[in-house]
Amino acid sequence: MSASFTSLSRFARIAILVPLFGLLVSGCGINTIPTYEEQAKAKWSDVLNQYQRRADLIPNLVETVKGFAQQERTVLEAVTDARARATSVQVNAGTITDPEAFKKFQEAQAQLSGALGRLLAVSENYPDLKSNQNFLALQSQLEGTENRIAVARRDYIEAVRLYNTELRTLPGVIWASTLYRSNKPMQEFTVSEDAKRLPQVKF
Amino acid sequence: MLRRAIFVAAAWICLVGACAAQTLSFPALTGRVVDEAAVLDAAERAALTEALADLEKKTTDQLVVVTLKSLQGTSIEDYGYQLGRRWQIGQKDKNNGALLIVAPTERKVRIEVGYGLEGTLTDAIGKYIIETSILPRFKAGDFPGGIKRGVEDLIQVLSGDAEEWQRRAAQSISPNITQPDDVPLWLVIVIVLLGVGFLIFCATAGGANCQALLQALLLILLSESRSSHGRSSRSGGGFGGGGGTFGGGGSSGSW
Repeated sequence: MSASFTSLSRFARIAILVPLFGLLVSGCGINTIPTYEEQAKAKWSDVLNQYQRRADLIPNLVETVKGFAQQERTVLEAVTDARARATSVQVNAGTITDPEAFKKFQEAQAQLSGALGRLLAVSENYPDLKSNQNFLALQSQLEGTENRIAVARRDYIEAVRLYNTELRTLPGVIWASTLYRSNKPMQEFTVSEDAKRLPQVKF
Repeated sequence: MLRRAIFVAAAWICLVGACAAQTLSFPALTGRVVDEAAVLDAAERAALTEALADLEKKTTDQLVVVTLKSLQGTSIEDYGYQLGRRWQIGQKDKNNGALLIVAPTERKVRIEVGYGLEGTLTDAIGKYIIETSILPRFKAGDFPGGIKRGVEDLIQVLSGDAEEWQRRAAQSISPNITQPDDVPLWLVIVIVLLGVGFLIFCATAGGANCQALLQALLLILLSESRSSHGRSSRSGGGFGGGGGTFGGGGSSGSW
């Protein structure tokens, strides 16, 4: 620095440099990693909410179908079992950074999706069931929930993409390797699971 | 010279931002009725617009009718929530927006419901309106009739009973007086003061280091203003989205 700068009083130098440093550092994304992390976590709880919502709908749906199609016991049991398995998977904030736990969660939910798809497919064979108001209402709620799950998953994937990219690219990688060393990349849903959505039921 | 180059390079790295790629294109929000597929005449559009404006006055709920030429190869569910988010239908603090989307080409209709209305306008109610009021008329080729009847039903559901209106009306404070997304005034003042201080400092002390710092500061300022321009500006048509967002709630039908 030039001689005139050093001749400035200590206070004046601090007064100029501290705000500038703050500005430079925040401009360089020191806050970006925690911000993206919180966003991704919020999106993750959205995903969990919507899966929970689906799980809550299932007992009612199973009961309604049972009333009309008792002979479809295997399909009904498969749904009940898959729901029990999906809800028994322990999920917490650590799940998204743990590939094993995440895979387990994803597989359980995919199994439930498959079982539900079969249940809705066989219900096509029962005209009385198909025209039952309760069933129609539950079915539309289930369709809506599947769509919400799809949206929540997409939002989560996007948030995680931002976060993971920030961890691996400049300037984020500097902060990741110094200040935020405990931050791990988060898991994404794989695309193939997205394709396992419920078959659209036509009226 | 080298140090100066490093400074400028560092500032440029800070500037680099990922531009969100938009794969779908959306029609402009020209009013409460956006008739891209041209299935309504002027009188029908005006009547619908009035009814929808009435609804917003009573409940602050924003309901928008949109007919689309094409879904651009995606599903109506996928298009619907993205359109709702793009237009920001619904008040920002309540997310109380809803869309009635008609895609005559693909023979699809959807009621897209914002987060805040999911409890009032449930998927089952939406499905019921689609199946009983809209689809029978669409099947007969009567688009204006189906849309009109669907909107009437939706307005009834959203209006609820008189008490409900009163309660909601009492809650609604004139929306969007403050825009929390804007850069706060004090920050602008601090930045301007810093800039002026540096100008004075540079004029008296001079030197290449000082100039490089100034340039870095300028670049940061540029990046700040660039990011704040990212928000969509409201068109002059008198109607705009209130900042609401959507999470895929609602129901669809086809004919």
